[in-house]
Amino acid sequence: MTETTQSTDTEQAAESAQTSDIEMQRSGQPLEVTAGETREKTRDEWTDYEFEGDAKFAVEDLDVYYGDDHALKGVSMDIPENSVTALIGPSGCGKSTFLRCLNRMNDRIKAASVDGTVELDGQGIYQDGINLVELRKRVGMVFQSPNPFPKSIRDNISYGPRKHGDLETGFLANLLGRSDDEEVEELVEQSLTQAALWDEVKDRLDDNALGLSGGQQQRLCIARALATEPDVLLMDEPASALDPIATSKIEDLVHDLSEQYTVVIVTHNMQQAARISDQTAVFLTGGELVEYGDTEQVFEDPQSQRVEDYISGKFG
Amino acid sequence: MAGAVESELVSEDTSETEAVAAAAVGVAAILFALSLAALFELVTITDTLAGVPMVALLGALLLLLGLGVVGFGVGSRLGYVATNPRPSAGLVAAVAFSGIWFVVGGLVASQTFGLGTIGWGGVAFVTGGLAFAVTALPREDIGSTLPAGLLAVFAGAVFVTGLIGPGWVWDLGWEQSASFNAEFTIPVITAFCSLLVAWGAAKSYGGFGARGRHVGAYLLVYLNALSIIAVLFLLVAFTVFKGLPGLFNGLSFGLGTGPETTLFGFTFAWPLSWPFVMNGVALLNDVNGVLPAIAGTIWLVIGAVLFAVPLGVGAAVFITEYAEHGRFTQVVEIATNGLWSTPSIVFGLFGLAFLVPRLGNGKSLLAGMLTLGFMLLPLVVITSREAMLAVPDEYRDASAALGVTKWQTIRSIVLPAALPGIVTGIILGVGRIAGETAPILLTMSGSVAPPGSQTVDVIGGFQFISSPPFVENPELLQATSALPYQLYSLITAGVGQSSNIANIEQFRWATALILLVVVLGFYAVGIATRYYFRRKLQHE
Ligand SMILES: Nc1ncnc2c1ncn2[C@@H]1O[C@H](COP(=O)(O)OP(=O)(O)O)[C@@H](O)[C@H]1O
Ligand SMILES: [Mg+2]
Repeated sequence: MTETTQSTDTEQAAESAQTSDIEMQRSGQPLEVTAGETREKTRDEWTDYEFEGDAKFAVEDLDVYYGDDHALKGVSMDIPENSVTALIGPSGCGKSTFLRCLNRMNDRIKAASVDGTVELDGQGIYQDGINLVELRKRVGMVFQSPNPFPKSIRDNISYGPRKHGDLETGFLANLLGRSDDEEVEELVEQSLTQAALWDEVKDRLDDNALGLSGGQQQRLCIARALATEPDVLLMDEPASALDPIATSKIEDLVHDLSEQYTVVIVTHNMQQAARISDQTAVFLTGGELVEYGDTEQVFEDPQSQRVEDYISGKFG
Repeated sequence: MAGAVESELVSEDTSETEAVAAAAVGVAAILFALSLAALFELVTITDTLAGVPMVALLGALLLLLGLGVVGFGVGSRLGYVATNPRPSAGLVAAVAFSGIWFVVGGLVASQTFGLGTIGWGGVAFVTGGLAFAVTALPREDIGSTLPAGLLAVFAGAVFVTGLIGPGWVWDLGWEQSASFNAEFTIPVITAFCSLLVAWGAAKSYGGFGARGRHVGAYLLVYLNALSIIAVLFLLVAFTVFKGLPGLFNGLSFGLGTGPETTLFGFTFAWPLSWPFVMNGVALLNDVNGVLPAIAGTIWLVIGAVLFAVPLGVGAAVFITEYAEHGRFTQVVEIATNGLWSTPSIVFGLFGLAFLVPRLGNGKSLLAGMLTLGFMLLPLVVITSREAMLAVPDEYRDASAALGVTKWQTIRSIVLPAALPGIVTGIILGVGRIAGETAPILLTMSGSVAPPGSQTVDVIGGFQFISSPPFVENPELLQATSALPYQLYSLITAGVGQSSNIANIEQFRWATALILLVVVLGFYAVGIATRYYFRRKLQHE
C-alpha cells in the first residue's frame, strides 16, 4: 500500500527519458500488451474524477493477486452515490475481480489475496471485525449467467430476508401466529415490480423459477438482490447471456434503479456502457485502471491513446 | 472430394428388397425370442410338431434365413439390389467373425472328427483365417452377410440332418462328468445364429454403409435391452408364480376374522385373515406364517436407515462443504469406498464381536440394526457427496452474495438440491441390506421359525422407567428373525421339516416372494420420495 503512493512523481517520471524498470512498473507502464495495443504510460490524473455529492465507495491502491498472478494493480477510484458506474475493458483485465472486491466475494476464491483499502460510506470493508452478512445485505450482486435457486419464484425473492430473520414463515411461525405471510407478499410484489417482472409472473409465483426464460430469470435475480434492500447493486455483465430484447429491458431497468441505488455494472459492450452509465472506468490489459471519468468525456475525448484505440475497436 | 460416394437423396425402387430384409430381421428376432424361451424351459424343443421334430423345423428356419441373407449380400454385390456398401466390413466385424469361426472349426474338428490338438488347431486356424479374409477383404455387402449367413446355414443343416437332435449329449469328459445336453445347446446355438443373421439382415435392410451400420447397431442394442428386461421379468414372474399358492393359503375376508392388533393403546380386529403374513409358526396353527420375520426385516431396515442416514449425510456435508480438499478428503473417500466393498460377513463378525457383548450380551434386533447401519453408512456418504458436488457453485455464490451464512446455504439450498441423489443412494443401500443374511445370522437371529407371539413390537416396546436413562425398550434387545435369514435356514438346514409346516416347498417360495415384496415396497417408497423432491426442484 505504501509503495504505490507516489502520485505526483508520475509526470516527471514520464518526462525524464530514462526510467528504470521498477519505476516503469510503478508509474504504470504496461508490461503486457495485446496485439494492436500501443505502449504508453498511465497517468494518474486520467483516473481523477471530480463529482458532486458523496462517494459511496472509496477504493485506494487496490491490488489483487491470484497466487502469483497480479490481477489488479494499484486501482484507486471513488464511486459516487445513486449513479451508474460502468466498468469496461477487454476480457481478462480484471473487471470482475474489481467488482468482487466491493462485496468481498473474492474471499470465496482460495487463491485470491487482496491488498489495499475499500471504504463503503467511509468504513473500511477489509478491516477486522467486518460483518460480512451486513456488508452483503447492503451490497447486492447480480451474476453474469442467471442463477435463480431451484425454488418457486416467491421463495427466491423472500430467501434473503427469511434467512436474515427479517421475515418469519414456515410451519412453526404459522403455529405461533408470527407468520409474516402478508409482508412476504408485499415484498415479493415490490421487488418484482422494481425489477420490471411483476406483470409477467404475478399469476405464477408458485412456479419453479427455472421455468422462466433467460431474461426473466436475470430480472428475477435482480429482484432477489433488491429484496434484501441493498444500497448498492453490483452487476457482472448481466446481459451478456441474453437476447437483444431482454438486454434492452435490463438496460432500462438499470437506468431506473440508479435513482435509488448505486449501480456498478461490468460490461464488455461499449455501446451499452455509453447508453446507460454516468461515469465509466476503463480497465486495460494487465489489470490496471487506465481512465476513469464522465462517460461522455471518456467516449468522446479520451485522454489515453490506448483507451482511444480500445474504444475505436483497434484491439480488445 | 476424391473418392466420395454419391448416394441418392431419395432412394427409389428399394421397397421390395427392403421388405424382404425386414421380414428376415423379423423372423430372426422371433427365432431369438423362441430360443431364449426354450432356454428358460418355457417351451420345449424336443417335441415333434405335426410329425416333424421341432429341432428340424428350427434348423430349416435357420437354413432359410442364412440363405436369404447370403443371397441378399451376393445380389447386392452383383448389382441386383441398390445399396451403398463401404469397401470393407471393417476390422471389428472381421475379428469377431474370425473368432466365431475359429471356435466352430475347432469344435467340429476335435469333437466330430476326433482330430488331435495339432489337427483341430490347424482346422480352427484355417476357418478363422478364412472368415477374417471373407469379412475384411471383399466389399461390405459380402463381408457382413456371408460369414453370418453361412454360419446359420451350417447350424441349420446340422439340425435338419439330425446330427444334433433331441437326444444329443456332449460329454466333456472331465472328472466331474460334466456334459451339455440338447435342451441347452440347441437354444444357445439358435439364439446366437439368429442374432448374427438378424444383424446381417438389418445391415442389408439399411443398404449397408453408414445407414446399414446404424440399423445393425440399433437392432443389437434393442435386442440386448429387451433380453435384459425379459430376464428380469422372468425372474420376478418365476418367484411370484411359485410363491403365490403358499402366500394366499387360508386367506379369508370378513369382519372380525383377523387377529386383533393394538396400536397406540387402541385395539381393533382386522377385517381379513391372511395366515401367511399374520401368523408365526406354531403347532396349533392351521396355516403357518412368517409375521415375526416380516416385522423383523421392516424394523431392521428402518433402524439401519435411521442410524446411517443422519450420520452419513452429516459426514458428506463436512467433507464436501467444510473440509479443505486435500489429503484428508482423499483418505476419507478411499476409506468409504473400501468400506462399501467390504464383504457383509466381515461386518457381521464385527457386530458379533463388538456390538453383541455391549448390547445386552446377546443377539438382538438393535445389534442387527447397527450392523446393517454400518454397512449402509459408506454408500450414503458416497452418494450424498456425489449429489452435493453436483449442486452448481452458482447457487452457493448467489446465496453468499445475499449475505446468507454457509450453514443456512447448505440447509436451504445445497441439501434440498442434493436430496434426490441422496435418496437414490439410500434406495440402493436398502436394497442391499434388506436382503443380507450373513450379518443377521451373526448378530440378530433367534429361533428359525418363531411363533407369532415373538413378533417384535418396537413402538409398543417403549417403557418409561424411574431411573436413568428413563426410557427403555426391551423389544430392541430381543433376538428375532428376518426374512432372508429365515429363508436361508429353511433351505439349507431343512429346518421346519420337523415343525408342522405342511408344505415346506410352498412355504419357502412364499417366504421368498414376501421378501421380494418387502424389498420392492421399500424401493417404491424411495422412488416416490425421490419423485416428490425432484418435482419440487424442477419446473415441470
Ligand atoms: N478464480 C480465479 N483464480 C485464478 N485466477 C483468476 C480467477 N479469476 C480471475 N482470475 C484471473 O484474473 C484475471 C482477471 O480476471 P477477471 O477479473 O475475471 O477479468 P474480466 O472480468 O475483466 O474478464 C485474469 O487473468 C484471470 O485469469
Ligand atoms: Mg468477467
